[in-house]
Amino acid sequence: MRSHKFIAYLYTLPWVVTFLLFWTFPLIYSFLMGFTDYQLLDPEYNWVGWQNYRSLFNDPEFIGALKNTFIFAFGTIPVTTVAALLLALLVNREFKGRGLFRAGYFVPSITSLVVVSLIFCNLYSRDGYLAMLAQMVGLDVPTNGFLYDSGTALYAIMAMDVWMSVGYYMLIFLAGLKSIPDELYEAAEVSGASPMRQFLSITLPLLKPVALFIIVINSIKSFQVFVEIFVMTKGKFDTLTSVYFIYERGMTTRFEFGYASAAAYILFVIIGIFSLAQFLLFRQRKEYGW
Amino acid sequence: MVGRVGAVGQTIRYAVLGAILIGMLFPFGWMVRVSLMESGSLSNIGLFSGSFTLENYIGLFEQTSMGRYFFNSILVGLVVTVGNLLFGFMVAYALARYQTLPNKLLFFSVIVILMIPAHIVIIPLYLMAVKAKIYDSYWALILPWVVNPIGIFLMKQYIESIPRSMEEAARIDGAGELRILFTVVMPLCKPAMAVLAIQVFFTNWNSFLFPYILTQSESVRTLPVGLAMLQGHQAIDWQHLMAGSTVAVLPVLVLFIFLQRRIVSGITAGAIKQ
Repeated sequence: MRSHKFIAYLYTLPWVVTFLLFWTFPLIYSFLMGFTDYQLLDPEYNWVGWQNYRSLFNDPEFIGALKNTFIFAFGTIPVTTVAALLLALLVNREFKGRGLFRAGYFVPSITSLVVVSLIFCNLYSRDGYLAMLAQMVGLDVPTNGFLYDSGTALYAIMAMDVWMSVGYYMLIFLAGLKSIPDELYEAAEVSGASPMRQFLSITLPLLKPVALFIIVINSIKSFQVFVEIFVMTKGKFDTLTSVYFIYERGMTTRFEFGYASAAAYILFVIIGIFSLAQFLLFRQRKEYGW
Repeated sequence: MVGRVGAVGQTIRYAVLGAILIGMLFPFGWMVRVSLMESGSLSNIGLFSGSFTLENYIGLFEQTSMGRYFFNSILVGLVVTVGNLLFGFMVAYALARYQTLPNKLLFFSVIVILMIPAHIVIIPLYLMAVKAKIYDSYWALILPWVVNPIGIFLMKQYIESIPRSMEEAARIDGAGELRILFTVVMPLCKPAMAVLAIQVFFTNWNSFLFPYILTQSESVRTLPVGLAMLQGHQAIDWQHLMAGSTVAVLPVLVLFIFLQRRIVSGITAGAIKQ
């Protein structure tokens, strides 16, 4: 038995090394870096305490990035969640060709974000397809297209995000719907409850944990929006988001590692709250079995 | 419910579903259409009318390192996938079958990392890669991702659902631990491994930020990074960009058509991690 135990430790070794080397160490490293003025051009570490954090909260660019991130999250999440639920209800019942619709709706979410962003760059451009459609129904199109205009750029990216992720959350809702026992509906049918009544008193309450879970993981994802911004606007036209801010300050011309690390930790705390919620839901999730 | 809805309802259902389906797939159709268009003719074309040519695809492979990016994506994807299958399985087995205190702690570390967004560590990982002299090499694209918490998590859940009887029988017959792991347990885990392989490969195929930050030369860059870089390339226009996008999406779409069921079950089983 002793040798069994030894071999078990051996099996876990790859994870232990990865966990320490690629997670724990960088997390501590960047936490400490956040208290220094370390940067590429002046590569000397000076301990500056909370200075970076204080500057960040007085940095209009960072505040703007946080604001945009919140707009992105709170704008897309309700739309995505409701749309995903409606889609799931539409394709949940047995009918011919159901698999085709399910798969078709899901396709955007398995595609590379770079590709999707490039396609939408084209569609959103001044003489792109969407501009054409908007003009056909009599909407105003910004002179430089939807992405090169501060009034529309962020919303255009948000719309793309909904289009891309709705199929993914639809699948999770479908899994949730499947876990509701048929007997509940049968009993409701016997007692003469209308389909609407059944939806409101059975489906909706029992889907609540799934919906919560979707909202939480979508929040965590939304606070990390990066690729879309990188490919489509480079943070211009009022689309700067938190991760793009970290990237721009830390990884481009300025290479302000200390400052950017502090910003990353602020984001970490925000996402941490949602992650904690996810952890609590995760424990609950086992009981529901989806 | 279907019976009650009747023929009219059924027609409406299909109309609604069909309209949404077109909306979901139209951008891809448009991508392919633009990629087949002659250079310089962007306006006044329909989805099925106007000129069709393959010259953008030829030009793409001749003028850019597209072929190289493609190769890199496949290479890195395969190595990371195999690594996750092997290591994820080993770690998961230890966590599922040897329940001692440090293992509980280890599983907790898996769950915690599963929930921490990787974006937080871009800067330290970049600096570490530079200092360890693996920056701009395949190592930087492979090492940090070769054991992924999602793999450990998925495999552990699965192994726990397998009865222990076969392992115990093998143990009584005198089989060694490694032999039990690879000849008794591993074959039983095939379905979970398939799900994991697909998920890891897809994630890797599409990932952008880290491959972008950890590399510099065209010879090691992966497809999404190369594609994003083409944008600023002088000789590149929409036709070529969409041809490149099609090249990047096509393998994923083909795999999806064949592996749909497994992908869907992987998503619902592993929905915990983005």
